[in-house]
Amino acid sequence: MYPDLDMTQTKKIALLGNPNSGKSSLFNQLTGLRQKVGNFPGVTVERKSGYAKLKEDTEVLIVDLPGTYSLYPTSADERIAVNALLDKGNKDYPDLIIYIADVTNLERHLLLLTQVVDLGFPLLVALNMNDVAEEQHLQCDAIKLSEELNLEVVKINGRTGAGLEVLKEKISQLLSQDQWERVSDFYTLIPQEQMIVEEVRHLLPTRNDYHALLLVHHLSWLGFLTEDEKQNIQNIRDKHAFHPINNQLDEIMNRYKKFSPILPRILNRSYTTAKTLTDKVDAVLTHKIIGPFIFFMLMFFVFQAIFSWSALPMDYIDESFAMLSVSLQRALPVNLFTRLLTEGLIPGISGILVFVPQITILFLLITLLEEVGYMSRAVFMFDSIMQKFGLNGRSIVSLISGGACAIPAIMSTRTISNWKERLTTIMVTPLISCSARIPVFAILIGFVMPSYKIGFFNAQGLVFMGLYLFGVVAALTAAFVFKKVLKTEEYSFLMLELPEYRQPHWKNVFYTVYDKVRSFVFGAGKIILIISLILWFLASFGPPKMMKMASDVATIESSLLHYDAQQTALYVASKKLEFSYAGYAGRFIEPVIKPLGFDWKIGIALITSFAAREVFVGTISTLYSIGRDADNLTIRQKLQQEKNNEGKPVFTSAVSLSLILFYLLAMQCMSTLATVYRETRSWKWPAIQFVYMTGAAYLVSLLVYQLLK
Amino acid sequence: MVFRINLNNSLSTPKNITHLNIGEHAFIAAFSNGFIACKLMAMGLLPGSEIILVRKAPFGGACYIRAKQHYVVLRNKEAEHVILDSEVSK
Repeated sequence: MYPDLDMTQTKKIALLGNPNSGKSSLFNQLTGLRQKVGNFPGVTVERKSGYAKLKEDTEVLIVDLPGTYSLYPTSADERIAVNALLDKGNKDYPDLIIYIADVTNLERHLLLLTQVVDLGFPLLVALNMNDVAEEQHLQCDAIKLSEELNLEVVKINGRTGAGLEVLKEKISQLLSQDQWERVSDFYTLIPQEQMIVEEVRHLLPTRNDYHALLLVHHLSWLGFLTEDEKQNIQNIRDKHAFHPINNQLDEIMNRYKKFSPILPRILNRSYTTAKTLTDKVDAVLTHKIIGPFIFFMLMFFVFQAIFSWSALPMDYIDESFAMLSVSLQRALPVNLFTRLLTEGLIPGISGILVFVPQITILFLLITLLEEVGYMSRAVFMFDSIMQKFGLNGRSIVSLISGGACAIPAIMSTRTISNWKERLTTIMVTPLISCSARIPVFAILIGFVMPSYKIGFFNAQGLVFMGLYLFGVVAALTAAFVFKKVLKTEEYSFLMLELPEYRQPHWKNVFYTVYDKVRSFVFGAGKIILIISLILWFLASFGPPKMMKMASDVATIESSLLHYDAQQTALYVASKKLEFSYAGYAGRFIEPVIKPLGFDWKIGIALITSFAAREVFVGTISTLYSIGRDADNLTIRQKLQQEKNNEGKPVFTSAVSLSLILFYLLAMQCMSTLATVYRETRSWKWPAIQFVYMTGAAYLVSLLVYQLLK
Repeated sequence: MVFRINLNNSLSTPKNITHLNIGEHAFIAAFSNGFIACKLMAMGLLPGSEIILVRKAPFGGACYIRAKQHYVVLRNKEAEHVILDSEVSK
């Protein structure tokens, strides 16, 4: 039926435009849920692509290139866009470009447009009519613009999807043409550039003069050029005393000179200088005092929401999976497979899904704040403080979210464009005390500080607060160290555009949240599942002889002590854990942790806590035969009675404080490490994070225990 | 519109964005740093553009300016390179 189908490859269409031009809305409109988010090779910038149906039988691949202001990139993500257009071998090298221009800032949007036109790509302009333009009754004569530019111009609305059908129709038409006949005439190379370009075009294949000129400009970072080619081009540059910045400036100005006169002819009026809604809102939201205050109120709300809204669904997930395990245990024969399924696999999956509510809520709220345009205001307000610690204004959002859970917090650093600042934020965020530390603190705090009141304050509450503050100080200190240690070639600058306030685009919010959750479940989730299976194995199995003996001895001891069935089961479980591989590991590390005041039982808890910090409570309960359902008070009473070989209490205040500080500082969360791996695309950073955090924890606990004991 | 770029720093105490009072208008005359010039021009801030200093960051360090329909924030060390005129240069 479709004779051409095998012959025609799927055409690639790139979406290109300035930041905040409505590119992602158009992308979502074109591809819907058929989008894929990956990474551009070698970097952590997200690569979004997806298929769009143009007609019944035509599918095209749409690639959403990172937003950039010009073909002279200033950041890693802008370079990706430019690289894709300059490298014919690049997998994102497009057959056609849809250029998105926003009508409210048309003059500026024309700069990049004229540059890509000069690169000689088949191109059409999607003129995004946004709400602000509508509000201000700003009108644009698309037909005239099309004549002036000699390009197809289609009016669209990224939010409503208006104009999409016409756009698709025009794309089909352009794709069916064999030849792209559009003379590049926005910029005439100056004589020096002419000479350089001529020599370069003898050296390597180029699309046209402007393409060659851009290679000359960008040769230092273009990965697809060979070292020889780079050297040759560099020689040509030197020969002609080429000064990139000067030429770039001249080019930009000549372009503006050429297209600026078009604007009065196509827009119904010039820009308004009257106070807009954005001016009025910003007078409050970025106010010297009210601004930061509102920010902290908002963050407090986000923090609260992650905590309280997620509690119910988390419990539900937890209980459903626990019930599933129990009913499967009853239904299936007792064998290794059943244990693997019910004790390893199902709790492992539950351990991944249990984070989904928190991730969903955080990203829902953060994406909303981003969508309405608030986030860049926060960057503006806090940039200078965060700079002192080598962080970015945006880092403050991640740090605060880290108070609920480090996983969504680390995922939220994707909005930080400077790699060093983003990496530093990722590295220090887990030092902020997350909700999983609370159960550990809650059990141990009683051993450090008795419950009484100092004035209005509860003494334990004050210690709690002190622990949180300590986490914040630790994170900022670590950031400061990373600032000194990490090297980057990337120039740190702000020069950030504040988008106008606008209504959130719910579709965009939905796709972003969906995407984050999916990438957590399938990205980090895989690693979490594997590690939790390993931990389950270590805690459930030991050398068979020893396990058998431990179980037999425990049973005999129980009968001598006249334990009832439940007590016996608990006692056997505790003895089995003692002789499991995890138990051996606990005893193995005892010499190392002894100076911190920890015995081998705490050692076992430290190892199993790697699954998640709150596992500490469960492990300790099993080790001391307390039973899973015991509340904190029972556990604490039991622990208080616990004596070591010399008959002294195990959980002294020195040991407890040392243990609390260890849990506060150490990297004991495989889910976080898996997330860091996913976000940095390398095991190097999670490894460094594990070593530095656990090392700091060791030193601090050592110091505290040795001073207090 | 007149484009004038001055890349040398030898102008006698030229006025820059950090010297503006809040709410004060001025016109961009030139840039004294090529990188910053390229970036800001690509963002739509050109020599000849009228700008207003809208406010300064609560904890200092950055300026918030408005030009036509653009709202842009930049650090003080970047703002220092934007040389201003009180009227459009002829």
